This record gives sequence, structure tokens and C-alpha cells, in this order.
Amino acid sequence: MPPRNPAVVAGKAIAVGVILLWSLFPIGFMLMSSLKPGQEIFAVPPRLVFEPTLQHYGALWEKWAVFFRGLGNSFIVTLGATLLTVIASTMAGFVYSRERGRALEASALFLIVVRLLPPIVLTLPLFTIANMLAINDTHLVLILLYATFFVSLGTLLMRTFIDYIPRELDEAAMVDGASRLTILWRVIRPLSKQGMLALAVFVIVYAWNEFLFAFVFTSTRAKTAPLVISEMLGSFDGVDWGVLFAASSVQLLPILIFVIFMQKHLVAGLTGGAIKG
Amino acid sequence: MTTLAPPRELPALPAAVRGAGARLSRLGATLPFLAPAQLLVLTVIVLPALHIIWLSLSTSTFGKAPVFVGLANYIHVFGDTYFWRALANTIIIVLVVVHVELLLGLGMALLFASGLPARRLLLAAVLAPYAVSEVSAAVIWRFLFDPDAGPVTMALHALGLPGFEWSVDPAHGLAIVALLSIWLHLPFTFLIIYAARLAVPEELYEAARIDGASKLQSFRRVTLPLLMPAILLAALFRYIFVFRLFSEVWLMTQGGPARSTDVVAVYLYLEAFRFNAFGTAAATGWIMVVISMILGAGYLWGLRREMRAHAA
Repeated sequence: MPPRNPAVVAGKAIAVGVILLWSLFPIGFMLMSSLKPGQEIFAVPPRLVFEPTLQHYGALWEKWAVFFRGLGNSFIVTLGATLLTVIASTMAGFVYSRERGRALEASALFLIVVRLLPPIVLTLPLFTIANMLAINDTHLVLILLYATFFVSLGTLLMRTFIDYIPRELDEAAMVDGASRLTILWRVIRPLSKQGMLALAVFVIVYAWNEFLFAFVFTSTRAKTAPLVISEMLGSFDGVDWGVLFAASSVQLLPILIFVIFMQKHLVAGLTGGAIKG
Repeated sequence: MTTLAPPRELPALPAAVRGAGARLSRLGATLPFLAPAQLLVLTVIVLPALHIIWLSLSTSTFGKAPVFVGLANYIHVFGDTYFWRALANTIIIVLVVVHVELLLGLGMALLFASGLPARRLLLAAVLAPYAVSEVSAAVIWRFLFDPDAGPVTMALHALGLPGFEWSVDPAHGLAIVALLSIWLHLPFTFLIIYAARLAVPEELYEAARIDGASKLQSFRRVTLPLLMPAILLAALFRYIFVFRLFSEVWLMTQGGPARSTDVVAVYLYLEAFRFNAFGTAAATGWIMVVISMILGAGYLWGLRREMRAHAA
């Protein structure tokens, strides 16, 4: 339905303009401010034209080595949580897709019900348990937490994607004497890559940006990048906005580019997945 | 040798027993595949959640053995004006955030579905906030809305409007938190509704047009009823997630000034990790769980219906 009415065209143009401003202005503002020299960050009204400088990035590199260690920690935790979630969800999703039964249906529902527990509620006992096991402030504790909180949605998502793989393929393999594990590896895995990618996108964005668990469970060794930024924001001797914008930009850019490239999978995950309408 | 050969015909087992045996062996074969997911959930969520029940019925703090106190913690929480303030704030934020998101998300979904040039590029722009962490968003917000020098504050003043006094005025504090939360999660809500809109067959609009329906009529009679399941699901999803809101509040106001912008999650955190009162924190936790379960019941009901349809 191409719009014919000029008023409709103008209305749409304005709406699109407002949406773009709303979505992109805060991000653009941050990226631009990170490149502005010294006090120009505070210029009123903010200047669009300026001589870009990397001075804040330089200062970040010199003064905040802990931020770059945080990025490393974020990377390890994200990688670990993604692998664990995708593997556990694909295995469980495979069974839920192929088998039927009351017990199975109940256990699938159980996976979802527990997901209703607010994470903050669990920090309380988990903090004590993690202390006892001496895994506080390690990558492992964050990997386990992130994977657990995505494995239920992940399982439903993978089940939906695996449902699209014809059963005849499994049955043919089964006739040839293949075990379930072989079927999962040889038949399901190659054909459910779409679903795994969609799930991976969700987990990666979540694990890379997560704040609450990192805040409660890590302090020095395994501190992730968002936590370091929050400490820079709460710094007692005044906030160095230039450096802070630089750090936020470094934390954001990789994941932003990733999301834009994976846009298709993000939409596929939402449309094919458990939360479809 | 013949004596060692198995009998050719096994005595027939009752069908029920045979069925149970087959089911049991099937269970044994499938269990290893379910184990990783179920074990994670069991050890990280279920067992700790049961532990919270015990914690909520006792008084304890770091390094001290819990002492059973019955329902005293619950009575304490329900008698605490800070808790009621936090609950009221949470409800306000949930209602505002979820409904504004749904309205904007629906509007945007309809706009996108009406045909836009460079749709993929626009979609990427709209999804961009999804990639931004709560922390980075709070950095931007705290600068933009700084009550003294923030560019948005200055712009509002220049227009003769009052700025957000969010570090002093609790209502403004909640407004700024709500705005931040909407900005971060609108892409998600929009995508769910948009995906549902794309699934509506064009022929229905064709038919409505042939029947002489106006744009408004085809929206009310075709679009809205078909989008309703998605909208409801998105709403429940967001109710549950906004109800546990923590980071946005913590990073913007820390519940201040004077705990006037506390939400339930912040109240719990302060009880547990600032006042070291694990008992009342655990009681707050169970109150949160019960409310979440009530909210979630609707979501699960919808999901179950879908699973049933899918099993059939």
C-alpha cells in the first residue's frame, strides 16, 4: 500500500524522524562526546562539529587498566555462558521435540516456572553457597548463573527450531542403527544452526551487558566491564565524563555491531521461539 | 547347547507392565540429554529457592547460625513503611513502563508494516538500544539529564519548561528511571508485536477493503484482534521483568533521596547486603516470588495452551 496522500507521507516522515532521534540520539551523543576534546563535552548547546581526539581513550588506557581486564573477563564469561547455554538447550530441546509424555511435559513446564523467580531473590542463598564453595569472584560462578537463567528459554527456542526438522531424518538414521547422540550430532546439529545462532545472540547480549549478578558475585578478579564502568560512575573524586564516555563506547561498540549484523537471527529467535504470538 | 538357548516365547507380560518398562527405558535413554539443563536449574534456582524459605523463617546474618523465628520476618516486612513505599513505586513503574512500551511498540509495528523505505536500516536503528547495557545507558542518562548542566535539562529550560529534578524529587526520580527502562526495552516489545503483525496474512486486509472497511475499521476488526495474543504475551513478559527491576534504579538514584525511589528489588538488596538482615531480605524475596508467580500464571497459561496445540 504505497501512501498517496502527501499528509500521510509527511506524518510518516515525522514519525520516523522521532523514532530515529529517540533510538539513536543517546548512543550518538555518547560516541561523539567520547571523541570531544576536554571541556567541549560540556559546551551548551552541544556542538556537532569539533576536532575529534582520542585523548579520553588514551587516558582510559593509562588510568584504567582494570577496565581492560574487565573487558577480558566479560569476554571469557560471555563465551563460557553462551557455549554452556547452547549445548544444554540443544540437548534438552532435542528430547522435548522428539519425545512425548506427561512427565516430559511437566518437566518442560517446570523449566519455565522456575524462571519466574527473580534473580535478585536468589542472590541471597547463592552468595552464601558460592562463598562456601569458594567460587565467588570467579568466571565460573557468572557462567553458571547466566547459563541457568537462559537455559529454560533456550530449551523452548531450540525445541521450536528442531520441530521444523523432519522426523523422517531421525528415523532413517535410527534404522541405520544410529544412537540418539549420533542423531543429535549428525542430523540435528547441522540443521538447527539457525536456532543455535538465534539463541547465541540472546545469551551474548545478556552476558556481555549483565549488571546485577556481576555486581553481587564479583569484586576484583572476575569483575566484568559493566561493573568497572559503574564504579567509574560512582567514583568519589568526581566523574571524569570524557573517560567514562570512552569506556562506555568501548564496551558498547562490539556488541552493537554484533547485534546489527545478527539482526536477522534476533528476529528469527523472537518469531520462531517460545515467545511468539 | 539347546538347553542354554532362551525360550522362544516369553510369557506375555500384562500390557501395562510392558508399557511401563518401555517408558522406563526411554526415560533412561533421554535423561542424559535433559540432565545439563535440569541440573543447572535445580542447583542454581530450585534448591537455593527452598533454602530461602528456611532463611525467611529465621534470623541470620554473615557468620551467624540462623535461629528460627517463625513469621516474624514477614510481620516485620509488612510493618515496614519503606517496604510499602518500595512496593508502591514498583507498581507505578510497572504500570507506566509496560503500557507505554506496548503503545509505542504497537504504533511502531503498524508504522513499519505500512511500508517504509530502507526498512532494514531503520529496523537496525530501532534495535540499537537493545545492545546498550543498563550501565552505559545510565551513564548517558545521568549526563543528559544532569539537573544543573545536562543538555536535555538545558534544552527544556531554553523552551521555558522545568527540567527533571530527579536527584531531589522522588516523582522525577521515578520518571527518569521509567524513561530509561522504556528506552532500553522498547526494541524487544516492538519486535514481538511487529513479528505478530508480519504474520497477519495480507489477504485479510484485501478482503476488508473489498468489503468497504475503512482504515480504522480494518485496524479494529482485523489487526487488533489478531495481534492481541502477542500483545498480551509481551505485556505479561514485561510485567514479570519490570517487577524485578533493579539495575536501572540502582545506577540512577540508588533508591535515593532518603529511600524515596526504592523499588522492591532495591529494598531486598539493601536489607541483605547493607543491613545484613538475611531473614527480612529472604521474606521480601518470597513475597516477590509469590507476586511473580501470580503474574506468571497468566503467561504460563498462555504458553501451556500453545504447547497443547503444538502437541496435538
